[in-house]
Amino acid sequence: MELLPQYLANGLVTGSFYALSALGLTLILGLMRVVNFAHGELYMLGGVMGWWATTRLGLDFFTGLVLVAVVMGAFGWLVDRFLIERIRHQGEEPGILLTIGLSIFLANTALLAVGTAPLKVEAPISAGPMFLGPVVLTKLRVFAVLVCALLIVAAWLVIHKTRLGRAMRATFQDPMAAQLAGVRTANVYAATFAMGTVIASMAGMLLGSIYSAQVAIGGLVSMKAFVVVILGGMGSFAGAVAGGLLLGVVEALWGGYVATGWVDIIGFALVILTLVFRPYGLFSKRAERA
Amino acid sequence: MHKWSQVMSLAGLFAVSALAGAQETVKIGVIEPLTGSVAYNGLASVNGAKLAVEQRNAAGGVLGRKVELVIEDGQCRPANSVNAAEKLVQRDKVVALSGAFCSSATAAVMPVAEKYKVPFLSGVSSKADLTEKGMQYFFRSAETDRLMSRTFSKILADKLQLKSVAYIGVNDDWGRGGVEDFSKDLEALGVKTVMKEYFDHGATDFYTLLTKLRASKADGVFVAAETQDGSILVKQFKEFGLKTKIFGVGSWATADFIGLTGDASEGIYAAVPYASSLPSERNKAFVELYSKAYKEKPGKYGAAGYNAMNILLDAVARAGKAEPEAIRDALRKTDYAAPNGRYRFTDKGEGYGFDVVLVQISNREPNVVAQSATEKP
Repeated sequence: MELLPQYLANGLVTGSFYALSALGLTLILGLMRVVNFAHGELYMLGGVMGWWATTRLGLDFFTGLVLVAVVMGAFGWLVDRFLIERIRHQGEEPGILLTIGLSIFLANTALLAVGTAPLKVEAPISAGPMFLGPVVLTKLRVFAVLVCALLIVAAWLVIHKTRLGRAMRATFQDPMAAQLAGVRTANVYAATFAMGTVIASMAGMLLGSIYSAQVAIGGLVSMKAFVVVILGGMGSFAGAVAGGLLLGVVEALWGGYVATGWVDIIGFALVILTLVFRPYGLFSKRAERA
Repeated sequence: MHKWSQVMSLAGLFAVSALAGAQETVKIGVIEPLTGSVAYNGLASVNGAKLAVEQRNAAGGVLGRKVELVIEDGQCRPANSVNAAEKLVQRDKVVALSGAFCSSATAAVMPVAEKYKVPFLSGVSSKADLTEKGMQYFFRSAETDRLMSRTFSKILADKLQLKSVAYIGVNDDWGRGGVEDFSKDLEALGVKTVMKEYFDHGATDFYTLLTKLRASKADGVFVAAETQDGSILVKQFKEFGLKTKIFGVGSWATADFIGLTGDASEGIYAAVPYASSLPSERNKAFVELYSKAYKEKPGKYGAAGYNAMNILLDAVARAGKAEPEAIRDALRKTDYAAPNGRYRFTDKGEGYGFDVVLVQISNREPNVVAQSATEKP
């Protein structure tokens, strides 16, 4: 029992990382109804670019983070305007195929460019241990959790408090009406996808500084992100946060008291239970869209 | 005009002599992954093999003939490796095969070698049961985990003064096998097992595992992991403020690993089949040769490729003729002095007698702590 505080701390830290890595996916899924299978690859690109910016260009972490956000934002915008635009309003399958194709393309391009070796993203602060009573944390982890919270809040504010956010919500409730009211829906779609991409890539760089960035990580990240999104409900901010924390804590407790070897099982067990008992997720309102 | 025809005839002469030379070469087939996720390691192995051939040819070749390598990309996949083997035997008429890196690919090539009665030597594939399939043409000059564990357990228990050990392994055949082998052998020496845990490939957060490790109060922790997982684990281990002695198997003590873990790698022990810092004269000469050719120190795979090729070429020389059957018989009598000990084979084709080393990383360099020859299994 004396290990419980440490397990909970571990779970909350990884849980907030899960929440952040799932946020971009839930945004794009909830607002645009595009199942983005390339989500993990966008995350991976953020990590790889973070490595490139901090070790090759010699930038500090924050300048690197801004650079990654700008470049990946532009990339997300272009992907929407040139690729997703073509399959909009054609149902779900073309979107799935397109993003799966995109994920394969991105993963293999990155493989050609930087190879398979894990890459190190220079962290902004040291990773020495930090003792809070019986609990061990590191400054870097506490910092990363804070950045996660900050990014999540910032994204929430953009969607709920800005003109762009209002336009986004209007477009996804009823594209026709929004267009008639003078909203440039094409730009809104592109901005939403760009925003999702930026959040995914920033998560990739931030977590790359704690773990390491590597080209092959995309599939695993997508998998965990889907678990979080299904737990929390599509497009729900609170759902993503709660789903992430729940997954993190349950994994930590399962690993701590049962076995660390089969920890991935627990995420999928949760998903199955959610789908059986609350198919719209723990936090989703049943009908978001008219 | 006159000059031109001279050039032409000279070129023709060269072509003819090259052709004649080609007919006389002893052809050895090499199947390694040259693309895909382990391409880097496969290439190192090919580099080692090429070096062995260059060295041999510079000294006059074997049986008075030059040696020629025919290299194919098996991609570490069973199907591609089998195709490569068929091509090498049928079209290129190689007298012996070397490869195919991954155990699964090697296992697939073995029946092909058996069918055509061509000797097949693997310098890398470590899955234990490869030599248990009753194949008559298969040989292995690689360390199995069983062999490593038997050799190292005693050294570890003595050197590190271990009383209780925790075991952490990646959740696959190799990781679980490593943990089982080492825990069994260490327990036989009176070292208590206090924890056995596994993690999935690609796991990134080990804090839960490390919490358990701290609670287990072990003197030492054994880790079976490859570069990626292992480096993150070791980094978090130090972040977590643990002081337990770490030792492990897998691709530890490589330049990549040390680069990723940074200062966190200081002081950890790794049981490896080869280290470029081995003190023997023969190894120094090999390291010098390899560094000159490839501008980097040889690692485990470079050495494995070099040794496997030398063992094959020695067998050709001993056989006295470049015929597969004769080479196979000669391989059985192998006693090859390598940079890292003397290789011999059991009746099943299992290599032994070579040295394996325990290194400790200090100042970002793997230093040899102990060295021991593997016993006959």
